[in-house]
Amino acid sequence: MTTTAVPAQTFTPTRRRFTVDEFLAMDQAGIFHPEERVELLDGEILIMPPIGPPHADGTDQFDDFFKFSLRGRARVRVQGPVQLDDLNLPVPDIAVLRLRDGYHRAHPTPADVLLIVEVSDSSLRRDRDAKLSLYAAAGIPEVWIANVVDRQVEAFHDPVDGVYQSSRIVPADGRISPRAFPDVVLTVGEFLLGDPGSEGDETGAPGTDS
Amino acid sequence: MTTTAVPAQTFAPTRRRFTVDEFYAMAEAGILDEEERVELLNGEVFVMAPMGAAHADITDLFDDFFKASLRGRARVPVQGPLRVDDTTLLFPDLAVLRPRTDYRRRLPEPEDVLLLIEVSDSSIRRDREAKLSRYAAGIPEVWIANVPACHVEAFHDPVDGTYQSSRIVPADGRISPRAFPDVELTVGDFLFE
Repeated sequence: MTTTAVPAQTFTPTRRRFTVDEFLAMDQAGIFHPEERVELLDGEILIMPPIGPPHADGTDQFDDFFKFSLRGRARVRVQGPVQLDDLNLPVPDIAVLRLRDGYHRAHPTPADVLLIVEVSDSSLRRDRDAKLSLYAAAGIPEVWIANVVDRQVEAFHDPVDGVYQSSRIVPADGRISPRAFPDVVLTVGEFLLGDPGSEGDETGAPGTDS
Repeated sequence: MTTTAVPAQTFAPTRRRFTVDEFYAMAEAGILDEEERVELLNGEVFVMAPMGAAHADITDLFDDFFKASLRGRARVPVQGPLRVDDTTLLFPDLAVLRPRTDYRRRLPEPEDVLLLIEVSDSSIRRDREAKLSRYAAGIPEVWIANVPACHVEAFHDPVDGTYQSSRIVPADGRISPRAFPDVELTVGDFLFE
């Protein structure tokens, strides 16, 4: 076999990545169905997993709470896009945004974001690994992963070079506030009611591991 | 670790795949530039590797040979679109197509193809593994012109997405398209150091 100099990396096909502008142009061109849930991560268009009842309920609860407690102080966007950079337009479950005019002209950017809440059930690993590093790289100051399965909130702070430098786990009976609004306090267990199938039996013993 | 019933496959993000029609809509909307070399493989948009000198030269040589020897008997597009199915649109280096009058209204499809040639230098593995199985959905004959090895790998008799027979024709060997047994070439006239 005559193996002339063919670098190994040229063997892997390169996916065409899309910019946020191209992604939005696809939508304008009617390529996506109106009901389709897609987001752009690292230039790749990903289908968002269907939302199960615990995920939807947790999102509703956070939405209701923040809309009420932050009225007139922040804008609370539910499953709407946030433009992190040219290649990233994720759709977080909840985005707490600075109050300002102009959101009808362009999607919010990291400078607008005070807190992102991602409610996670089936998509735990994805939200944690892929999106968290994107949020950190974009400088989003605070992210909560509301873990429906373990009934806990994992709070991440202080992004430096794409990594959150501090994080803490708040269990169901714990209390937490957004850093931007220390007066707004919530008890995790009131938002994450858990899987009705496992309610009552303590097989999982939330928070004992990981 | 609380492992409640979360199926493992739901962890992996699912890429949005596109149909050939959506792919063309992207081009029409100006999202894909006309100069851009992209193709659609199983619903995913890939950037085509830039053609090296050997790839371009060998494609030219095959093009010239088949255009001359099949004049009036086949149409020979170079890197033209081939609609393999609803989610795959490829641009094979050379296609030998049945002559038809309606190619301006519809894209060539597998049943129009008599022979495909892919010239492979840097993209050998991809052409072999991913594209070949798509071509085996009904294209009767494919030649992979393997530049580093200086030989042609000829694949025939597709059944259920796999070519049932193949043979390697070295530089000093001769080969004809099955559809045109009278048109014979010597591999080394096309593939050489």
